[in-house]
Amino acid sequence: MVPISYYVFLSLAIFSIGLFGVLTRRNALMFLISIELMLNAANLNFVAFSFLHGNLTGQIFTLFILALAAAEVAVGIGIIIVLHRTFSDIDVTKAVTMRW
Amino acid sequence: MDPFSTVAAIPLLPLSAFLIILFAGQFAPNLLPKQGAIPGIVALAISLAMSLLLLLPVSSGKFLNEVFYIWNPSQIDPITGVIISNLHFGFLIDPLSCLMLVIVSLISLLVFIHSIGYMNDQGEKGLFRYYAALSLFSFSMLSFVISDNLLMSFMFFELVGFCSWILIGFWFRESAPPRAATKAFLVTRFGDYFFLVGVVAVLVTFGTSNFAGKNSFPELAKSAIIDGSPIYGVAPTLWITIIGLLILGGVIGKSAQFPLHTWLPDAMEGPTPVSALIHAATMVAAGVYLVARIYGFYALSPTALSVIALLGGFTALFAATLAVVKREIKQVLAYSTISQYGYIMLALGAGGYTAGVFHLATHAIFKALLFLGAGAVIIAMHHDGDMWNMGGLRSKLPITYWSFLFGSLALAGIFPFAGFWSKDEVLFEALNHGLGGSPILLLSYAFGLIAVFLTGFYTFRMVSLTFHGSPRSNPAKNPHIIRWNIYIPLIILGILSLFAGAINMAPLEELFGSNFSYLHHWLNMAPSTLTAHHYHELIESFSGYHSAHISSILPALISLTLAISGMALAWKIYESPNPTESGAVYANKLNKLYTVLMHDYYLNDYQLKITKLTRDRIASTADIFDRMYVDGVVNRISLTSLSIGKSMSKLQTGIVTNYAFLISLGLLFMLLILVLWSGWL
Repeated sequence: MVPISYYVFLSLAIFSIGLFGVLTRRNALMFLISIELMLNAANLNFVAFSFLHGNLTGQIFTLFILALAAAEVAVGIGIIIVLHRTFSDIDVTKAVTMRW
Repeated sequence: MDPFSTVAAIPLLPLSAFLIILFAGQFAPNLLPKQGAIPGIVALAISLAMSLLLLLPVSSGKFLNEVFYIWNPSQIDPITGVIISNLHFGFLIDPLSCLMLVIVSLISLLVFIHSIGYMNDQGEKGLFRYYAALSLFSFSMLSFVISDNLLMSFMFFELVGFCSWILIGFWFRESAPPRAATKAFLVTRFGDYFFLVGVVAVLVTFGTSNFAGKNSFPELAKSAIIDGSPIYGVAPTLWITIIGLLILGGVIGKSAQFPLHTWLPDAMEGPTPVSALIHAATMVAAGVYLVARIYGFYALSPTALSVIALLGGFTALFAATLAVVKREIKQVLAYSTISQYGYIMLALGAGGYTAGVFHLATHAIFKALLFLGAGAVIIAMHHDGDMWNMGGLRSKLPITYWSFLFGSLALAGIFPFAGFWSKDEVLFEALNHGLGGSPILLLSYAFGLIAVFLTGFYTFRMVSLTFHGSPRSNPAKNPHIIRWNIYIPLIILGILSLFAGAINMAPLEELFGSNFSYLHHWLNMAPSTLTAHHYHELIESFSGYHSAHISSILPALISLTLAISGMALAWKIYESPNPTESGAVYANKLNKLYTVLMHDYYLNDYQLKITKLTRDRIASTADIFDRMYVDGVVNRISLTSLSIGKSMSKLQTGIVTNYAFLISLGLLFMLLILVLWSGWL
């Protein structure tokens, strides 16, 4: 059996990649993908610990998160479409006209 | 029936008259006889009768000193279970207050009767207001007189001031009376501030403000001085002097002493009967009565006594010089009132308790007479008070003339009228104690002597201009008729001003050897700490006043000679069919002095200037404080938060990446804290 720490480190790695993506990319679509990575890192943790403890609650949580992620992507893509209509671009650093 | 059992009714009768007149006048004016004069007259007549009844038991040495109403009865002595309170209403009926009760109720009664002629017969409107205020005035003064403690005195002192404000401004539709009323109120209030501080000081220092008894504050002050231990870090004599001078502030304001006298001549704007009441028996008398009431306290402080004597002597002279030039008959009388109260203060300051009370009594009578006489003259003159428009009224108004002449002779101090005996005793006390080792009193005596001459002069200038010579205007040729309601008070007061001096004919004692100082013995019938004799001992042992044992005949002759020469001079100048002011004395070189005197030494202007300067100074300081500190604090707070907000808003870049970065940084930071805090590293 694969030790639990493997799952944890894998999940940590995926989360860090997602975070790195959010912090460095300017393309809104890449944002969505990075967030998806971070959510799935969390899912991985849930499933691993659910399996370890023999408790199904973690897996049910994962199912909820999957549904949530789908909804989030739908909203996110809607925002990106509006972004593109307004600025003819999906660069997130351009949308700063309402600050100060 | 014991007259003491109904003492409360003496002031309460005028109070009920006040309520009746006020409500009846408001809701059922037709039911009110003479627009309210009759209820007032009835109430005061009963009060006068009851005051006269009090004379009998008081003259046999009885007195009343009892608490009527306690304000803070919760204070109960834990040991004895007796209610202890220093705040109460109470009565003190002793010879002094009894004498004053008779004078106040008598003068008030006569003023009410006179008012029917002066106000009702002249078709004045809204008189219920007038009579209600007059009744309240009598109530306040009678209550002030029978007060047994300083705090109660203060309250009624203020009520007296308030009533005079209503009455001086009775003709409120004209412009001058309301202003004069407000001025009177404000100027006396200025003095009363000091009085209030004095009352508080007495209560705090001695724990009581009672006038009479072993635990009265003059007695406690006396034992404090004998004890000698400092009060609040200062010597007891100094502390008592300070309190005495503070209380004196109220006296100076109410009794119109220099420099707070300026309200009194202006107060002549009120109806003449009101002037009579204010000057003779109530408002102005309240000040000096207060000094007489707590004389045992003032007698402990030589400094306070000297201040009173000097102030009194100076005011007597100062006001007399102003009375010399005035054109209005009421103005002359106003300044003579200031001058005469100066004499009373001089007497009290010079250690002449009996003399002061004596002059207070006789002055009340002859000054009421003169004012009511002036009221009669003003009615006759169709409400013109300018003496230069009068003349020749002697043949038209014989009763007024003779009674006015009696009052004038009393005012000038001519033998054997009332003013002669009292003024002579005032001056004698000043001279006697002055030669006995208090030289400062000699200065006051000199002031007083010069004022005697001037009094004779201005009094007979007034009589000559008003009644002698030939009529100088149409109203003087055809005077308005005067009825019984004017004559009766004049006749009563005229007779009294001839004979009232008989109550204390001290100089006769020396001539005939028998006892003529009835008033002095009467005042000695008081409870032991309030007798004239006790006060005499106090001023000798505490203030160092000693009698020089001089004869009283020579000083009497000196002042009589001066008064008669003043009269003669006035007679010489003004006794002609058509006298002129600028003719004889007021030649060119005196014109400047004349102008100064006509403007009351410009004192009003100076006081206004000082007031304005102080007001502007205070206002600008307050303005600066307001702008710098009050506004400054608010502005600084808002500016600071604005600038912090401005700089902090730069954090909101609008770039999602930055937010995400900050959130992650925060998360890391929190993790770090958690790790460090729980000791994992």
